[in-house]
Amino acid sequence: MQVLVVLAHPTAGSLNHAIADRACTALRTAGHEVHLLDLYALGFRAAMSADERAAYHTDQPILDPLVREHAQLVRTAEAFVFVYPTWWSSMPAVLKGWLERVFVPGVGFKFNEAGKVRPALGHVRRLVGISTYGSPWPYVKAVNDNGRRTIMRTIRINTGTFTRTNWLGLYAVDTATAEQRERFLERVERRMRSL
Amino acid sequence: MKALVVYAHPTPDSLCAAARDRVLAGLAAAGHEVRLLDLYADGFVPELSSWEREHHLDDPSTKPDIAAHADHLRWCDTLVLVYPTWYSGQPAMLKGWIDRVWVRGVAYELPEGGNRIRPLLQHIRRIVVVTTHGSPKWVNVVQGEGGKRVAFRSLRVLCSRRCRTTWLALYGADTGSHELRTAFLDRVERTVRSLR
Repeated sequence: MQVLVVLAHPTAGSLNHAIADRACTALRTAGHEVHLLDLYALGFRAAMSADERAAYHTDQPILDPLVREHAQLVRTAEAFVFVYPTWWSSMPAVLKGWLERVFVPGVGFKFNEAGKVRPALGHVRRLVGISTYGSPWPYVKAVNDNGRRTIMRTIRINTGTFTRTNWLGLYAVDTATAEQRERFLERVERRMRSL
Repeated sequence: MKALVVYAHPTPDSLCAAARDRVLAGLAAAGHEVRLLDLYADGFVPELSSWEREHHLDDPSTKPDIAAHADHLRWCDTLVLVYPTWYSGQPAMLKGWIDRVWVRGVAYELPEGGNRIRPLLQHIRRIVVVTTHGSPKWVNVVQGEGGKRVAFRSLRVLCSRRCRTTWLALYGADTGSHELRTAFLDRVERTVRSLR
């Protein structure tokens, strides 16, 4: 499979970077073709600009060459793996902005003649989310895991009902021991190898 | 009332810009004190930096970039967010404002060695959200209404225990008629003016 791994953490050497590394290695071992997008390292700009907003409903909604490159990777991907820390029950701005700027009409979805949204990611067979949470699991559930919902529902509506999904979460990460972190990395590796 | 209006839309001729103006008109008519943050116009940087991540538990006085924003949050008793709902939530610009400004020492306190945060914005007694959705309401319900829950759960738990919430949303804005938009804007101004 062609797998697109999207990583959104500002600090090189973070646990999220280790997770993405493990995931990429395991996926390659399993014979998949993997492309890693480290959004911070690439200097990806989070906010949609006024020009991009004005172009959104035209035939050419993409203006930035980096976004064009990513859109091409999205078009050929058969699996997405999102790796990010959950902040305020959702994804970091840079990942939210990546979805807004790359999953534009013609890439992430399309408008039909009546102006209604229709799926355009039918080629995506697998959707994986891996996230670290500062809060413990019950708190995350109480405030609602909105990042997870954005991926598993909002994106999934555009990939179609046959897309299989996996979610891997490490909760209360600030107080997690080195052993718990290592166990989580092993879980990531196992899961990615058997994808 | 001291209202902090946080507005995030890139284009000045948008429906959200019109909604922002009606919010300001409503607040002014009721005689409230108002501060406006126009994140795009102010050139706010939404990406939380590596340095900020490494120092996310440090005292906010060490973070001059967000000092003014933190002061606004401490000043207000009403928070009004005006934004378009994109991919079922706040746009990256507004999410980045939350990521960078709602830090330890401003929005919450984290006890030593703990992982349950304690609220610091207990003077905020109302959160108002004014937002536009391209899709109809049922689609947003299926998607799980992420934006609404970020505002009314994740942010609200850091405010007063009796913090009230006001949701003013236009659904189906992509295909909505001119009348629908006008009615929405009227409702925004009317509701905001009647806030106590």
